[in-house]
Amino acid sequence: MTSQRKKAKGESLTLRYLILGGWALFCLAPVLWFLSIGLRPRTEIITAQPIYFPSFSLDAWHMIWEDWPMAAYLRNSIAAIIGSVIIDLVLAIPAAYSLSRFSYKGRDDIGFYILSTRMMAPAIVAVPIFFLFRNFGLLDTIWALMLIYAAINLSFVTWIIRSYMLDIPKELEDAAKTDGAGEIRILWEIIIPAVLPGIITASVIAMIFAINEFLFTLLIASTPDAYTMSVALSNFTGGSDGVIYNAIALVAFLAFVPVFLVVVAIQKHLSRGLTMGALKG
Amino acid sequence: MARIELTEIQKSWGAVQGVRDVNIDIADEEFIVFLGPSGCGKTTTMRMIAGLEDPSEGRIVMDGEVMNDIDARDRDVAMVFQGYALYPNMTIYENIRFPLRMRGVPRDQHDAKVRRAAEFVELTDYLDRKPGALSGGQRQRAALARAIVRQPQVFLMDEPLSNLDAKLRQAMRVQIKHIQRELKITTVYVTHDQIEAMTLADRIVIMENGAIQQIGTPDQIYNDPANTFVASFIGSPPMNLIEGKLENGAFRAPGIEVANLPTRHSGAVTLGIRPEDCTVAGGSPHLSGTVYGVEPTGDLTYLTVKAGEKLIEVKASREYRASMNKPETVTFDLSRLYLFDTTTGQRLS
Repeated sequence: MTSQRKKAKGESLTLRYLILGGWALFCLAPVLWFLSIGLRPRTEIITAQPIYFPSFSLDAWHMIWEDWPMAAYLRNSIAAIIGSVIIDLVLAIPAAYSLSRFSYKGRDDIGFYILSTRMMAPAIVAVPIFFLFRNFGLLDTIWALMLIYAAINLSFVTWIIRSYMLDIPKELEDAAKTDGAGEIRILWEIIIPAVLPGIITASVIAMIFAINEFLFTLLIASTPDAYTMSVALSNFTGGSDGVIYNAIALVAFLAFVPVFLVVVAIQKHLSRGLTMGALKG
Repeated sequence: MARIELTEIQKSWGAVQGVRDVNIDIADEEFIVFLGPSGCGKTTTMRMIAGLEDPSEGRIVMDGEVMNDIDARDRDVAMVFQGYALYPNMTIYENIRFPLRMRGVPRDQHDAKVRRAAEFVELTDYLDRKPGALSGGQRQRAALARAIVRQPQVFLMDEPLSNLDAKLRQAMRVQIKHIQRELKITTVYVTHDQIEAMTLADRIVIMENGAIQQIGTPDQIYNDPANTFVASFIGSPPMNLIEGKLENGAFRAPGIEVANLPTRHSGAVTLGIRPEDCTVAGGSPHLSGTVYGVEPTGDLTYLTVKAGEKLIEVKASREYRASMNKPETVTFDLSRLYLFDTTTGQRLS
């Protein structure tokens, strides 16, 4: 009886690993494909015949680092993304605290207005944004990218953090008040630590959106001083060399790596945060 | 440590009136318990004392100082909450230390005060744990330690034991009373559990629909209820309340007759008698009915007798047994009868 049960348990475990392994392979396949394209000679990529044993080449790797200021693009991307997430958190945390914990006239309308900024097509505001940044002398700067990424992501960062704050028992704040804490202390010492998984979740999603942002980056950045990875991809198309697929694949892979590393590093918080968010609605 | 006076306190939210005409004078070092069903206004009254709610009208005075416009953080009160309200990101040590940090107690005194408070509630072995790693009873003791660490003028406790099981609740009850007596701190305690109220209180404030029904010592509340609400709220099983007619000192209701009552009232009245003041059979029975239910509990037996359409609870001896629908008689202790006005519910003299 026991051995039968052990056998059945072992089979069920193998099946589970097979299913999960298959799913993992399915998810990783595009990434591995990109990497494989990036590490092959250009001639092999565009051939019509399938190649079963591709050759390995670092041509694209050397090209992107030697012929293009890729380090600057990477640095611009990281600086703009980190800066935008910091701006988002500085603005979104107090806004979410206010929307979730205080009662005042028009509170729900303000909350809806913040969310509604995500409801229009970004292209609608592209021209006004261009003129705005030009008038402020911010065109082609990292600062402009930080501000625009922060503006794009602020609404959902606020709403994600707000949904976590709504779930914190009111008693915690009441206890802190009777213990002698003021509003700022309560926010800093009680509320923020309690919603940390939500803050991390919102930050990671904001990072992913920011690194993928193309329209406004193309509009604002016109030189390598402000080019980011997403815009760099367009450098490898339309020139005299045609579409350089292996370079595009490698740059896309490089853009994927920092976000992937961040997600791996905070995986525990992120999975908890996403699950909690799902329950809160 | 502090005397609290509540004068003409009202609290309303738009058309909804949560608390009305509350007047209480709580003496220094007194243990006062607000008792009542859910929604009766007891927690709101406590929150107004804490400064977490503002009264719509009336005055809250502590030791002669009007508190109405003073923030919760500037009142010298400590509160223990029903859900413990321990800060989940801090260890128990940090939780207990939090009020000391917030109130600007010199840093070099923190450790000694935290350890002393933890010793008081026997929690010294758990100081480095987070609240999530403690049991319900330990969390409640940690919440108590956080309240007592800075020796406030007033303790406020909002149903602090309601999340605990019966055995732990009893143990914590004893501990809370011991701590209060030892520290001599004026304590306001909110509960809907009459046993907690009776065992802990110097005085009980019974509330219903936002208004005070009676203030008195546990003995006064039990033995001298002001109205039918108080009479039926205190006691387990509650007092039997029998509606009937009073004529020439004789009370009559279907299956019930009590003569020679020393009263000049007449007309529709409600007669009250506690289950422990009823005796099965007896020399000259006042009630004739049939057995409706028998519930042995070990130390005694709860007997329910049906007289007319009314069910009367009786505490019978532990040996008492009877079959359903068997005719039964009950004798009332005439010195323990209460008469209430049926319309107003108020006690008749």
